[in-house]
Amino acid sequence: MNENLFASFAAPSMMGLPIVVLIVMFPSILFPTPSRLINNRLISIQQWLIQLTSKQMLAIHNQKGRTWALMLMSLILFIGSTNLLGLLPHSFTPTTQLSMNLGMAIPLWAGTVITGFRYKTKASLAHFLPQGTPLPLIPMLVIIETISLFIQPMALAVRLTANITAGHLLIHLIGGATLALINISVTTAFITFIILILLTILEFAVALIQAYVFTLLVSLYLHDNT
Amino acid sequence: MLRRMVLSAAAAAAPCLRNAALLGPGALQATRIFHTGQPSLAPVPPLPEYGGKVRLGLIPEEFFQFLYPKTGVTGPYVLGTGLILYSLSKEIYVITAETFSAISTIGLLIYVVKKYGASIGEFADKLSEQKIAQLEEVKQASIQQIQDAIDTEKSQQALVQKRHYLFDVQRNNIAMALELTYRERLHRVYREVKNRLDYHISVQNMMRRKEQEHMINWVEKHVVQSISAQQEKETIAKCIADLKLLAKKAQSQPVL
Repeated sequence: MNENLFASFAAPSMMGLPIVVLIVMFPSILFPTPSRLINNRLISIQQWLIQLTSKQMLAIHNQKGRTWALMLMSLILFIGSTNLLGLLPHSFTPTTQLSMNLGMAIPLWAGTVITGFRYKTKASLAHFLPQGTPLPLIPMLVIIETISLFIQPMALAVRLTANITAGHLLIHLIGGATLALINISVTTAFITFIILILLTILEFAVALIQAYVFTLLVSLYLHDNT
Repeated sequence: MLRRMVLSAAAAAAPCLRNAALLGPGALQATRIFHTGQPSLAPVPPLPEYGGKVRLGLIPEEFFQFLYPKTGVTGPYVLGTGLILYSLSKEIYVITAETFSAISTIGLLIYVVKKYGASIGEFADKLSEQKIAQLEEVKQASIQQIQDAIDTEKSQQALVQKRHYLFDVQRNNIAMALELTYRERLHRVYREVKNRLDYHISVQNMMRRKEQEHMINWVEKHVVQSISAQQEKETIAKCIADLKLLAKKAQSQPVL
């Protein structure tokens, strides 16, 4: 029995060695490099998916923004695969750790902001003041916009962490409820099990959606700043 | 390359070193070995078409074959069931909340794979097929283009062989035109000459006619002049007497 509800979120270590690094690097094995013109089914499907996603995601960017293509595609693949692998039983999801999500969000966001300030200084500064604000409100609005700018990386990281953690917790709790209800009344346990199945389906969707949202927002920040 | 330059410069400077310079590069290159054996990437070995056979999606068929001589068909299944029950009863695997999430997740995955696995595989195959078909089409189009060029060239050559018919016809045409012009001119010359000759003839005829008329007029005039008055009276009286005789003869004979 787990000691508490949050034991599955502790950084995994085997015999005192932190193997979290191995767990973070594991999803990269699942994306083989295409080495031929005609590959096996796995690589063909992955290639097709990546082409589809990258075309859709990079359509809004100009030449400068498209230099980030590799970064964005790697991001969505990493977050998506890590989230999906975390749904397997007894697995550890790195994206439940706020430290890791902050480590992804802050550098990417800072990169977009600094790019904007370097190449389009006036336009980046102009983002602090929306169009058509009445004159007395300007100082307050600038402060509010600055705060909203600095919240962006926090929001990115916390959004991802909270969603995935909440999903895992819910699955854990409802699984526990099913276990406890089996002794009391099998029908209720069965209903709870159905809820668990529905939740699992939701979690699969959430895993992919969160990856998409993260990458989309980064790409949006990029679009503003290139 | 620099080494060669240095050596040749040294050989030029000092002739006694020339032999050493000639031997130097050859000796060096004899110890270096390049490109022995196959390059690592080509030819690429072909991919196996199907993966190894597995039972229950996890355990390779070879394991079942391995246990078959000793335990028969049910051996591995009994082994698996025994292991599972053992781990459950000894609480090596504890039933926790995670068990149910595991059941739901793995159950969901198996359901999706069973239902959509084949169609996803076909989709992947279709992607590869599209790629190959595209390249094949390019190849076929290129072959077709070259074939068309060959056919055109052949037909052109065949046409060249038959060109002499055209030249013959043209030659005939020109010859006919020349002949026609010649005959036309000949005819014109003939007509002109005939014209002139006709003119002379008609002039002659006219002269002769005029002379004849003149002569006749002259003869008539003189004859008429020569008839005296008395002769004229005698001739007229004779004519009247002859006429009376004829009238009598005519009256005596009935009109037939």
